[in-house]
Amino acid sequence: MDVFAATLAAVLFAGAPLALAALGETLSERAGVINLSVDGTVLFSAMAAFVTARVTGDAWIGMLGGALAGAFVAGVLAVVGLWLRAPILAVGFILTLLCRDLAYFLGHAHARQPGPDLGVWTIPGLSDIPFAGTVIGRQSPVVYLSIVAVAAASFFLYRTRAGLRLRAAGESPRAAFARGIPVERLKVLYCLAGGAFSGLAGAAYSLAVKPGWGHPQGAEGAGWIALAIVIFGGWRPSRVVLGAYFFALIQVMGIHLQDFLPGLSSTLFQIAPFPVMILTLLFINIRRSGRFRDAVQNVPLLGRLAGKPPAGAPGALAGVLDQDAA
Amino acid sequence: MDVFLSRITKRYGRILANDGVTVALKPGRIHGLLGENGAGKSTLMRVLAGHVMCDEGFIKVDGVRHAGLTPAGAMGLGIGMLSQDPLDFPPLAAWENFTLGGRPRTRRQARDRLAELSESLGFTLRPDDPVERFTVAERQQLELTRLIDADVRLLILDEPTTGISPEQKDILFRILRDFAANKGRIVILVTHKLPEAEELCHEVLVMRRGRLVGSFEPPYDAGLLLETMFGPEAAKAATEPEITGQAAMAAIRVREAATPQMAQAPALAELADVAFSDEKSALPPVSLALRPGEVVGVAGVAGGGQELFLRGLAGLARVRSGRYGLGGADMRGRTMAAFSQAGVHFLPASRMEEGLFPGLSLADHARLGFPNERGDIRDLFSRRFVDRFHVPDQPGAPAASLSGGNQQRLLLSLIPDNTRLLVAESPTRGLDVASCAQVWEHLHALAAQGTAVVFSSEDLDEILARSGRILVFFNRRLAADTPAAGQTVRGLGRHMTGRAAQAAAPGPA
Amino acid sequence: MKSPSPASINILSALALALAATLAVLFFAGAPPLTTLAVLFGGGLDSTASLLKTFSSFIPLFLCATALLATYAAGLWNIGVEGQITLGAVFAAGFLRLPDPATFPPALALILALAAAFAGGALWALLAGALRAYGRVHEIFSGLGLNFAATGVTLWLILGPWKRAGMASLSGTEPLPEAFRLPGFAGKPASMAGLVLAVTAFALTVWLLKRTTWGLKLAAVRQNLKAARLIGLSPKRRLLEAMALCGGLAGLAGGLLVTGLYHRLIPSISGNFGYTAILAVLMVSLAPLFVPVSCFFFAVLLAGAVQLPMALELDSSLSGVIQGVLVLAFLAAGRMGIGGRLGGRLGGKLTGDKT
Repeated sequence: MDVFAATLAAVLFAGAPLALAALGETLSERAGVINLSVDGTVLFSAMAAFVTARVTGDAWIGMLGGALAGAFVAGVLAVVGLWLRAPILAVGFILTLLCRDLAYFLGHAHARQPGPDLGVWTIPGLSDIPFAGTVIGRQSPVVYLSIVAVAAASFFLYRTRAGLRLRAAGESPRAAFARGIPVERLKVLYCLAGGAFSGLAGAAYSLAVKPGWGHPQGAEGAGWIALAIVIFGGWRPSRVVLGAYFFALIQVMGIHLQDFLPGLSSTLFQIAPFPVMILTLLFINIRRSGRFRDAVQNVPLLGRLAGKPPAGAPGALAGVLDQDAA
Repeated sequence: MDVFLSRITKRYGRILANDGVTVALKPGRIHGLLGENGAGKSTLMRVLAGHVMCDEGFIKVDGVRHAGLTPAGAMGLGIGMLSQDPLDFPPLAAWENFTLGGRPRTRRQARDRLAELSESLGFTLRPDDPVERFTVAERQQLELTRLIDADVRLLILDEPTTGISPEQKDILFRILRDFAANKGRIVILVTHKLPEAEELCHEVLVMRRGRLVGSFEPPYDAGLLLETMFGPEAAKAATEPEITGQAAMAAIRVREAATPQMAQAPALAELADVAFSDEKSALPPVSLALRPGEVVGVAGVAGGGQELFLRGLAGLARVRSGRYGLGGADMRGRTMAAFSQAGVHFLPASRMEEGLFPGLSLADHARLGFPNERGDIRDLFSRRFVDRFHVPDQPGAPAASLSGGNQQRLLLSLIPDNTRLLVAESPTRGLDVASCAQVWEHLHALAAQGTAVVFSSEDLDEILARSGRILVFFNRRLAADTPAAGQTVRGLGRHMTGRAAQAAAPGPA
Repeated sequence: MKSPSPASINILSALALALAATLAVLFFAGAPPLTTLAVLFGGGLDSTASLLKTFSSFIPLFLCATALLATYAAGLWNIGVEGQITLGAVFAAGFLRLPDPATFPPALALILALAAAFAGGALWALLAGALRAYGRVHEIFSGLGLNFAATGVTLWLILGPWKRAGMASLSGTEPLPEAFRLPGFAGKPASMAGLVLAVTAFALTVWLLKRTTWGLKLAAVRQNLKAARLIGLSPKRRLLEAMALCGGLAGLAGGLLVTGLYHRLIPSISGNFGYTAILAVLMVSLAPLFVPVSCFFFAVLLAGAVQLPMALELDSSLSGVIQGVLVLAFLAAGRMGIGGRLGGRLGGKLTGDKT
């Protein structure tokens, strides 16, 4: 039981940066902006956050630094991809490589150096309850941050006017324009917001989940997983965050299984999330296909479980990452 | 409300969509804006509603001059437009669609207001359902409700009767009359159908080639209107049943053309309990046979299932069950290549988005369409494309530069020679009269050679005029499969809205 | 928009932009600007040895860039090119474990090894292609996932079945016997065979794409996949063919790296050549004629960057930074100048919005 609680706690911890990055990208994609630079942004912000924290001595200012760095990268994407209208996928991809190399280059002097980290918060009262205490009573602040972020994003998207406008702008930009909604301005706004979230994710890595900076840092590839999680979660914050924890579980299990299968597993489990990412996307597409739905409807219980087909991409993104191909 | 448009001019590249249009709109009146497809009516209205900025000219509303309107600005002045393509948000709920862009309201307030207004107009709209589940008529009703809530004073409707049944059209027209009579409001009805304009409008404005060429008051002289719309020579040829509503007359002509031999020929395609399905929906099993040389018109309110049926026939949608036999072979589960070899060809309604390659040249299209032809591609292009179909003789031009009519000509020229079943989605949508005539000339020629032509159209007059046999879809079911002889617009309309079954049953209609 | 300006002014403005950004980055890093740039650019050009090193980077880069022209022509974002290089290397190394170096004719062994490399890369690419054509998984994700999987396979082989006699080491597998090494040029690890292969592949690919019906079909598939289906172009098969060609050429690059440069299988053998090739191709907006130029330029940077840690205590990632900044600057300048003609060449399918 203790092991189970500890595992759950580890999943929440490892999943926090993934959740933050994926939530940010969800907002951005809801506005119709696909930001392929997430992976590079996470690394760059991790470096920026760590350096800021070292220089100022305060990990929270480091978090702020990370968020600003993330927003800055998103700003570059906005300028070249939205304002100058260069192809957004190309710009995002170039930025992801650029930011990764920039992070290694600028962070060189701070590699493998000690620095502040965010520590652990203990929630009075909650931390004494046997099971829940381990899982949620004594956690890194990034865990609480990610939970608040999910709740806030969900509420914002589905219960506020601004969230409705965002959903409208992403669903049908032409109709939104006809209603007087400033679609282009919203794209820039949510692109920057998404970048800030990715920045927080990077900071969460270098100041909590994988403290420190190095070449490699450990956060490599997280941004790509976050992008897949957004699709996997159907662009809904509550499902996206479940996807984040799912991938975190894979990472955590890898560490556990190392005790049983030493040597082989460390690299294997570092790499495992990525083929799993492909499988999850494949699974989503199979679920949507006619063949599957026909086959499954004949099996009574399974048909219920399969339920409605998963939500499609926001209208503005249709046909870009949602390959309704031949 | 007083609205005056002065010398509105709008260019799209080399095309002059609006050429110095000046018109004064009178309060309390329903104005009809008539013209063939491509005359510039929609563009003018988009300028008025703020969707598009004109290059020259201005708009005066209640004495105040406005040079460049935005949609929000136009709404602020009380100008609202119901576009031809519904500009709404399909996955969002009706109440969300209703409140977007309007005054700040809570969820409860929005739902209440929607219920209140729609009831007063005589609509039943389910507030929590996503709009993608609504029929075209319901989406229109929701938009109208929203515009009325936003206190619109100048209401523009761009081809509102496409895709709705005749009964729904009657309801709409009643509402428009009430609206215009109320406090000096203005209605503009953009249409290419004469009978509608004659029925509803206090004044008819005619546009042709970007200019305002005439303004008429009742009683209307159909012949004069046609002449103004198309020019004197074209007016003679343009007794198109789609426009004049004389479908029954033309229908007789077509039936006479169908030769008796064709009726005896073995079936080209046989559907035995075939259920088509795609990602969004599925049709129940359908059984029918298609004979060579048949011209089959498929009618239905938008979303009624005929789109899926056509795509299934063409091999683009899955055959979930049943046997789809083409020339003896079962086509279930076969690839597009197999369908192509069996002689099936599909003409999509969205010509550029689904049928052509915008960046490739016309000559490239020729080479791709006829890969087995050796020899000079220019020669092939001249022979097949320019001479036979009047595709512009510019082999190097990109397809993106083609007008709607020329796009359809290009698509027609790409139909392979061995085509035995041609499935055409709205083949004359958005086309000017000359192009329409040419399309039908070619389709009839194909039918005379033994190709079965199955086409869909939102225009009941076209269906009545051109088909030998009519299929009607309603609510994703095949509601009627009847010879065209003896059918009327009203009769088809009843099938399209499911009333025919009711009328047949005993008891009050 | 603005009045069109000649291409040369665009290139100059792009270079100026890139220079400004680079100087800003160097300032932040506290690096001496002129010295750094001198090492970076000179390091690849200042001696015969460094020129050869540049060439040994140029060859795989050029091959991969050529490979990418095929997939971009079909509208595919083949990010998986890194994994394809790796699998090519794996297949080549794997093949060379079979014959006996003493008796088997070396030339034949190398030719077969390179053929195996082509096959390996093509297979890995076809996997991503199949996921796209039949599973509708976007190739960005399948490519990335397979890149990581390829790394995993390599590591497993190096530390497991193919490990060095005695102890497993991350420095790679057992080095190839002398006979099975691709002969270098003047004793250096750049091979004439490699250069010839790269140039031939380039010429062949450009001819295929620009002058054959197959190339036209790829262009059609990129422009409008639905229309391609309707007109009978079998888009799924075209996508797979393009992926196979691209993967094969990338695999060939991997085979050359194994037989000609490292003489064994090492972890991360793909050495970022794939991603760098993507940048090189994007920089010239897919115009095939300029691809050799951008590849050479990037190869110079790569060779120079290797000297940065020793000479100036700077991380060699600076070359990647400059490459990224350059490509971005060219994209931006293209959009600001000739009303987007350069940027527009990247094809409608790659753009998120249809405006």
